[in-house]
Amino acid sequence: MVDVSRYYGTGEGRITALSHVDFDVKAGDFTVIAGLSGSGKSTLLHLLGCIDKQDDGRIIIDGTDTTMMSLEELAPIRLEKIGFVFQSFNLVPVLTAYENVELPLLFKGLDKHTIKARVGDILDELGLNERKKHYPREMSGGQQQRVAIARALVTKPSLILADEPTANLDSQTGTSIIDLLIDLNIKKGVSLVLSSHDSVVVDRISNIVYISDGSIKKASRKNPP
Amino acid sequence: MNTIKLAIIALRNLKRNSRRTVITVLVSSAGFAALAIVGGYMDFTFSGLQEMTICRGFSSSGGTGHLQVFRKEASQKEEHYPLEYGIADYDELQRKLMSVGDVDATLPRIEFTGMISNGEKSTSFLGVGVNPAKELMLTKYWDTIYSGSKKNTSQELMFRKLAMASSNGVLLGAGMAKALGADVGSSLMLMGTTVDGAVNVVDVTVAGIMNNTMKTIDKYYLVTGTATAQNLMQTDKVSKILLVLNETKKTNHVLSAVSSKINAPGTTVKYAVTPWYDLAEYYHSVKDAYRIIFGFTGIIVILIVFLSAANTMLMSTMERVREIGTLKAVGISNKWISLMFLYEGFFIGVMSIAGGILFKEIFTIIINTGNFEMPPPPGMTSTYFLRIYPAIHFLPWISLLLLFSTTCSGFLTMFKIRKLSIVNSLTHV
Repeated sequence: MVDVSRYYGTGEGRITALSHVDFDVKAGDFTVIAGLSGSGKSTLLHLLGCIDKQDDGRIIIDGTDTTMMSLEELAPIRLEKIGFVFQSFNLVPVLTAYENVELPLLFKGLDKHTIKARVGDILDELGLNERKKHYPREMSGGQQQRVAIARALVTKPSLILADEPTANLDSQTGTSIIDLLIDLNIKKGVSLVLSSHDSVVVDRISNIVYISDGSIKKASRKNPP
Repeated sequence: MNTIKLAIIALRNLKRNSRRTVITVLVSSAGFAALAIVGGYMDFTFSGLQEMTICRGFSSSGGTGHLQVFRKEASQKEEHYPLEYGIADYDELQRKLMSVGDVDATLPRIEFTGMISNGEKSTSFLGVGVNPAKELMLTKYWDTIYSGSKKNTSQELMFRKLAMASSNGVLLGAGMAKALGADVGSSLMLMGTTVDGAVNVVDVTVAGIMNNTMKTIDKYYLVTGTATAQNLMQTDKVSKILLVLNETKKTNHVLSAVSSKINAPGTTVKYAVTPWYDLAEYYHSVKDAYRIIFGFTGIIVILIVFLSAANTMLMSTMERVREIGTLKAVGISNKWISLMFLYEGFFIGVMSIAGGILFKEIFTIIINTGNFEMPPPPGMTSTYFLRIYPAIHFLPWISLLLLFSTTCSGFLTMFKIRKLSIVNSLTHV
């Protein structure tokens, strides 16, 4: 991200959600964007995830400058290079756990054997094999979030973005989800950017970017836990 | 594979919103059934009109029969005197015609005009000279088609009366009888022109008073025997010969067979053979009018189906904003998401067709067994029982129209889907 700004509204009512932000994610990084509610964490993540468009500045994903591309034109980039984990899980309610994870692969043009193998592996890895035929309403919050993580991982993206992934979970389940993400980062080398205002979550991650009033105030790097 | 998955999602979403789906399917099914029943009623009406044209007619000439044989010149040239191009040796011609397969009867007819008088008052008439015994064949044909339904038997009775009457019996239209103050048994005079151009008068006795299919014809309509008409015109010719077939659908086939038989090489007199539908102006004008009315009804019904399905689709889109946003965020393009809604519209259409066929069958049975008596159509005198024909030939078109309508309603969602902001959709409640 180079000098990226994002505004909402026009005229006197215009709100600056992000102001001249420079942000870089390197392969294998696990970065947490910390800040209070309304500080611009989610906006930063949305722009990084190509689900929103900046008003100023440039965003380059894996060497592709996305600045002039529309959100519809960015769909293949989202499908190929980015995985999303949402605060409210956002699973498709009429699909089972297996089908939710399978969904993005169906649009990548893979053959059904590859899809089956990949989905089976990821569900196995995340301990969801016994839940694969369950619908979201039949699963706990933690299980749903695991399915969402599996869906984000299954396309083997360059970057996974997690927007407050523990906010709707109890502390124990939240901790287990963070453990899982850290584990994936270490073992698979997946680049992760996570937003959170929960100090317990923030403290467990090595790269921390503090954001306030739409601007990055401080970035710190500590040794991994 | 992704299209199959989208179809599965569409089906499951329809199941998830089962109440709304059922209501939409019921509305669309009712639309399908309405169109199919209207189609069945159209078939019944057209078939009735067709057979009425053949058996009874809507003009002073009576029923057209299935085919009519004229001298070729009669349709090409203007006659200098009555029956100049009439058929002279018509007994021989009738024998030839009866030898053609599927011909049940031949009916000689003379068309003539003149004045009718009671001695004090005169009025003009359009007369038809018939062989009443043979004309009963048309009534018999009508009975074979409409056996069991309510039929006006007055025509049959009239021809029987004419057949039994002493020489020079005449049937008058009710309007004419009223105008002349005539009743059964009254003596009247027919005045007309002979083939030589002289004026001739024949005394006739009223054998019956008939209600014609159309009230306006009653004032001028008159039927008598061929012998009386020939006596008045001083001729042994007839104007034409009508053919009654065993089935209307064989008309075209018999037409060519008859034409080749009577116009075989070497014959000196050439004949024109005209099918009933070329003589049925009223039938065609009524059919055209009905088509416009039924077409307009169809458009309204399809519009209702479309709006109902569109409402369901748009409601469905509104309720699934978060789901749509998630699919977009995952990287699924608008066209695939729109396809999912098109599938939903398509499946609603398929279910509606099945439901519509069921509704149509149920209502058809109720109507056909209920013997609902309908009032006479405008300008006519006899009532009839309402019937709905199967109208199978309409069903594929109605199905296509319905499928097109419900699937198109899915297109409306495309505009909504395109406009949805991904970020706002993800948090939509």
